[in-house]
Amino acid sequence: MSKRGSISAEATAPVPARGSSWAAEAAAVFVKDWRCEFRTRYALNTLGLFAITTLVVVSMVLGPAGAAPQLAATVLPVILWLIVLFAVTAGLPRGFVAEEETHTATALRLAATPSALFCGKLAYGFTVVLALEALITPLFLAMVQMEARRPGLLAVALVAGGYGLSVGSTLVAAMVAQARSRSALFAVLLLPVLVPGLLFAVQLTRAAVTGEPPGQELQMLLLYDATLTVAGLMLFPPVWNP
Amino acid sequence: MKTFLAWLLWLWIAFTIVAAYLFTPAMEGFVGGGESSRILFFHVPMAWTSFVAFLAAGVWSARYLWGRRDRRHDLAAAAAVEIGLVFCVLATLSGAIWAKVEWGAFWNWDPRQLSITVALVYYAAYLALRSQVADAEVRGRVAGAYAVLGLFVAPFLFFVAPRLAAFSLHPQPVVNAEVLTGREEVGMDPAILWVLLAGSVGFTVLFFWLHDLATRAAVIEDRSEAAA
Repeated sequence: MSKRGSISAEATAPVPARGSSWAAEAAAVFVKDWRCEFRTRYALNTLGLFAITTLVVVSMVLGPAGAAPQLAATVLPVILWLIVLFAVTAGLPRGFVAEEETHTATALRLAATPSALFCGKLAYGFTVVLALEALITPLFLAMVQMEARRPGLLAVALVAGGYGLSVGSTLVAAMVAQARSRSALFAVLLLPVLVPGLLFAVQLTRAAVTGEPPGQELQMLLLYDATLTVAGLMLFPPVWNP
Repeated sequence: MKTFLAWLLWLWIAFTIVAAYLFTPAMEGFVGGGESSRILFFHVPMAWTSFVAFLAAGVWSARYLWGRRDRRHDLAAAAAVEIGLVFCVLATLSGAIWAKVEWGAFWNWDPRQLSITVALVYYAAYLALRSQVADAEVRGRVAGAYAVLGLFVAPFLFFVAPRLAAFSLHPQPVVNAEVLTGREEVGMDPAILWVLLAGSVGFTVLFFWLHDLATRAAVIEDRSEAAA
């Protein structure tokens, strides 16, 4: 429907211009980001391929026997989350950095309420992370020969952990977009924010793999997700608007 | 007046140091007849002061973000982080030295060691972020938001994550409160408690004094840069 050259300018044009409600604004940002993704395939090329490459290398190094059984439950959940974490670090800051690079950020500032914009970007980031997890988790389980005793709990861990990852990275990406040396800074700023959530997610994933009943990790992870959401909604407006 | 207060502070800290060696009994059950545990009188107040400093940085940042966007508030937050990091490094080092004497290893990923490491990385990242934003107004907003975000993340590190760990070589988070409320899990001699409290008060006041100096210096530097 359009020439390739004018991708972001055209795609950033706010859809509902008059009388737009908060939800419509958030949805417009979400749809716009996914439209950009389908045109450029940026997330697929960075996050997706990065994750698959790392995954292949890990299983290759572990060899045909996989990890030793007594080590598997301890080590493999950590590796799974590391792959997700680094894939996110490589790809997600794009959401805000691209807006600054293509100079569409000002248009966005005018078009959308900050909280709606944050939620739209968060929804985009969360769906990207979910898609990534849906892609690599079955591959990972198959390639390292790991079996999830409690697949339901594994899914909960991936969704709740992935959500915390998305909120943290969306907020930090908005900060980093306004700085120089973005990609290096993004990882440095993001990791200490995500450490508690990742600890809980890893422990929960471990419980899902071994089949042991989880302790308080799930409540802690949900509490962490909720806290970061509140922090994001509170802190995004001053980060975004002068 | 300020000079007098500064001398009073030095006197207070000097007395605390002397008391740490002469007034308190050696702690039973520690290596070297309990003499090694005297590092506690410096380790705990330094850890406490870094906590106060990072809290203060968050409060100054919040005042900047939701106040009148006064540059001085942003500079005060940065100064608090810089001084807080010094206390945090000292607490980490003194803790590692004591861990070597007492437990045989400098580092064993005790939950407290985990949280102090994350705190170090977090506030070092805060300074890295500041150095990478050229415009002062944007720097204040972005770094301020990061400092306030730290207040949201900190409870998980200090209070929640240690509970999930299988064991910790450290006592419960709020030692003094537990001793004061009579739930004596630690079993602390009153003399030791008093010197610990005196040390914490002294170091906290020392922090605010240094912070006042650093903020004033930063404001002058900021003005001279603006004038140049």
